[in-house]
Parts: sequence; C-alpha cells; structure tokens
Amino acid sequence: MKLLSLPERLGLVSYRNQAKSEIKPHIVVDTEICNSVCPHKCTTYVCPANCYTKDEQGQVHFQVEDCIECGTCMYACDQGAVSWEFPDPEIGRGVTWNFG
Amino acid sequence: MDEKFDCIIVGAGVAGLAAAMTLARNNMKFLLIEKGEFPGAKNVSGGVLWGSDLAKLVPNYWEDEDGGWDRFINHRRLTFMDDQSAFSVDFKSSHFNEAPYTGVVVLRSKFDRWLADKVQEAIDASDYAMDSFIAPNILVEEVLLEDGKAVGIKAGGDEFYSDSVILAEGVNNLLTRQVGLQDKYVPADHMLTGVKEIIRYDQKVLEDRFQLNGLSGMSNEFVGYATNGVEGGGFLYTNRDTISIGLVLGLKDLREKEQKPYDILNEFKKHPVIADTIRGGEVVEYSAHIVSSGDKRVMPKKLYMPGLVVCGEAANLLMNAGKAIQGMDYAMRSGIIAAEAIVDAKKASDFSEQAMKKYQDTLGNSYVMKDINNFQDAVHLLHDPVMTQKMPNLICDFGRNFFSIKNEPTPKSRDMLRGAIKRHASYWDLMKIGAKGAKAL
Repeated sequence: MKLLSLPERLGLVSYRNQAKSEIKPHIVVDTEICNSVCPHKCTTYVCPANCYTKDEQGQVHFQVEDCIECGTCMYACDQGAVSWEFPDPEIGRGVTWNFG
Repeated sequence: MDEKFDCIIVGAGVAGLAAAMTLARNNMKFLLIEKGEFPGAKNVSGGVLWGSDLAKLVPNYWEDEDGGWDRFINHRRLTFMDDQSAFSVDFKSSHFNEAPYTGVVVLRSKFDRWLADKVQEAIDASDYAMDSFIAPNILVEEVLLEDGKAVGIKAGGDEFYSDSVILAEGVNNLLTRQVGLQDKYVPADHMLTGVKEIIRYDQKVLEDRFQLNGLSGMSNEFVGYATNGVEGGGFLYTNRDTISIGLVLGLKDLREKEQKPYDILNEFKKHPVIADTIRGGEVVEYSAHIVSSGDKRVMPKKLYMPGLVVCGEAANLLMNAGKAIQGMDYAMRSGIIAAEAIVDAKKASDFSEQAMKKYQDTLGNSYVMKDINNFQDAVHLLHDPVMTQKMPNLICDFGRNFFSIKNEPTPKSRDMLRGAIKRHASYWDLMKIGAKGAKAL
C-alpha cells in the first residue's frame, strides 16, 4: 500500500480550534537553550509530529500547531528547554482523536 | 459551585472511568473531569484490554450490540523479524471464544465514550443522580492543597472542593508532579514513544485476510527488524473494519540512534511480510503517545497522600513482559481499588494519609503489582539488545535454512542452529539470555 509522508499523516488528525487565528501555545520551548548548549537537538527527530525543525544553519525552531499531545519532547529534552502543559480546551490547539 | 464532593476524579480514561463506576455504585457524590471534548477524545492505546475485569465493571458487556469494544482476541501471534523474514509463534484456540473474553481490542475514542455512558447510567441509578457529574472539556490546572492535604482542584479559574482526589490523568502526569509524588522532570530512560496508524478495509476483506469469524480478532506483536535497530517492538491488532498497526520505541535509544519514529513506521510497513499483510487498506488516522516501560524505577514510589491517590498510567502502571502489553487492565483494576479505598474512607470519615495508604496496600496485593514485581527481570530482558536485535536475526536465519528444500543433502537441524548462532550471536550471549530468561519468566 502507499506509504504516507508525515504531512499526509498529520492531515488526517482532527485538531481543535482550527478556525481560531490566535491560539495559546501549550508548549513553550526556550530555543536559546537548544541553539547554545544542547549537544543533540533530539526533538528535531524524535517528535512524532515534527514540531521541532532545524534550519539550514542548524538552528532549532518550534511550532505548536501540529502537536498531537504525545508528550515525547517533555521526556526527550534533557536540557530543560521544554515547558509542557496540556492545551486549553477553548483557546489551545491539541487533538480530538476519531479512533484513538 | 459551593457544594463539596466526596471525590473529584481527574481524567476519563480507563482508570478514571473504572473509579467513577465504582463510586457511583457505592452512592458517592463525585465529579469526573476530562480535558477532551468527550471521554476518550484525547486517549490513545495499542490496544488490547486484557483480562476479564471489564465484565465485572459492565456485566454482560458483550451482549451490548453496539458495545464500545471492537473484537475479542482468540488468536495470538508473536513474530520475530529480520529484513526479509518473519518467524512466528502462533496460537489460536476456540477456548477463547466464550464470554467473558480474556482480551478485547478497543479504540479509545469509541470505547471510553461508551464506558462513560455506562458510568452515567450508574450515576442516574445512584442517590446522587443530580449531584454527580461527568464534566468534559475542562482542563484541571492544579490540585488544591491545604496543610499538605488535597482538598479539591482548580479548573478554568474556578475552585472545586472535595474530601478526596483521584488522579487518573494518564502518563503525562503533570498533577502527580505538582503534588510532589513524581519528579518534576522524568527522563527518557524508561519511556517509549508509541506511533500508530489506523488502516481501514472492507470488513469482509479484513475478516478473510485475518481468518476472523464473527467478532473474533487477532493480536500480533513483533520484535526485531520492525523497529530498525531501536529497542522496542511492533504490534498489529484487528478492529471491526480497521487494523491498529504501530510501534513502541525506546525513547532514549531513539534519541541516541537519531531516528524518526514515523520513518521507522514506514520501514516496518514496507517489510515484505508486513506489506503483504496490510495491502490495499486506507490509512484513516495517525497518532502517537508516550508509554512507560514497566520498569519499576520510573514509577512514583508513593501513590497516595492525605486526600489523594494516583492510578492508571499516571502511576506508570504498564508492563510488557513478553506475553502481552498490559496497561489498560492495570488502569481498570487500580481505578476500582482506588475508588474502593475512597468509599471506605468516606464511611470512616477519614481521608488521612493512613487511610489513603490502603489503596497502595491493596494494589500491592493485587495481580497488578504482583506481576510488575515478579516480572521486572523480563522487562529488563526485553530491552536487552541481544533480545531485540540478535535473537530475531538468529531465529529468522535458522527458519530460512530449516524451511529451505534444496535437493541437496540436508544438514541436521542442530547444525543449522549452530551456524545461525555463529552468524548472529555467540553461545555466551545465548547462555546469558537463557539464564536470564529462565529466571525472568
């Protein structure tokens, strides 16, 4: 069967509050830490939704829109850069699973 | 709300719902708070709910035409993989065909919602039909503490008071950390990232492909090539007209080997044996979730404090000891035991630390902690690279030779095995694993 790319997979996810232009991020990342002291920048590959990316200069960037609330980055980051909360039901993003 | 509840439960997953059912049946006044749009909306599992506790919670659940569960398991398979081959231990028996079943496959968005409806029925039949609530779409921000005792919760800026709090918030247990029962930072060492796809088929195709009859189902676990060198394993479960297929990947190992979970999932799906198994379907959901490994070192040492207990995955009650990945059944049993401790505390008007300790004592004497304690060596063994790498390669190498008919003189199986061991491991590896295995299992 056809293998899906990650964007295709994330396209199947039902995110909350998609109509809202402004959402309150439930995860805050201090990318200063990622880009100064972190030896591995592991969130850029272990995150199952690729919310963490590296640009051409190797700098880490984070976006919360695609987050599927799995929790991986909260454990994987051992540098203290990730502040992780659950999304606010009204003004946050996060998921509603159709199957789960 | 000025009213005080007997108990506030945080989280409408399997643990929270089992606790709520038990409280409702015992005429307790409680509030069950869930952050998702509905119970199950944010919950992900593999997943098989093992054992028969569900029948205690919802008697004759199998008679419910549109029950929340998908299929009962009467067919188990454990598969060792290398890059080309799959060598399986396969067991199917009509012994498992009779209700109450010993394992049902569930999809949590559907199952938890169904179970919540059953809890609501129990609330309606209780003395507090108008005073106990299941409240979805509310995020609990913190547990309220007074003099070291839990007295309620804060959510959406409002405070709700209760004699007791049951934390059933799941593996990402932020409130368990807030009250100090879990470290603020939990390292990756004993955590795994699960990734999963739901693939849909024509139901007839699915039933024919997996030899399903009526609502029978199959569970298949995988070790070896499935995880592309990362510690962990794969799974495939049959639902009504979909399959759940995925991987659980040791997070520390994933970090060290610099691999992406979704890439490994595609490699797994591309494996010739898996590709044949899943061909033709349509992916309808991709999900991911953290699970704990069952290693006791990650678990909170204490699951109680004055006025509060922790159950389910919030207490890291999950284990894969090689036979099955158990978590939801532990959640269910721990939720029931937690609620029973609260019922006793209410009768005695005593929600002290000593009263809450009864929960952990009872849990300690139940199969949940007995199994977790007894099978720690098996958990360690399963995370040994010899088990996840060398063994599957060795087994598949042997299989390839054993099942090859070449019109040449055939070597004895013993010699084939010796060759396979030489190519993939050593007798020393096997002796160590054998000794560990004999002790562990």
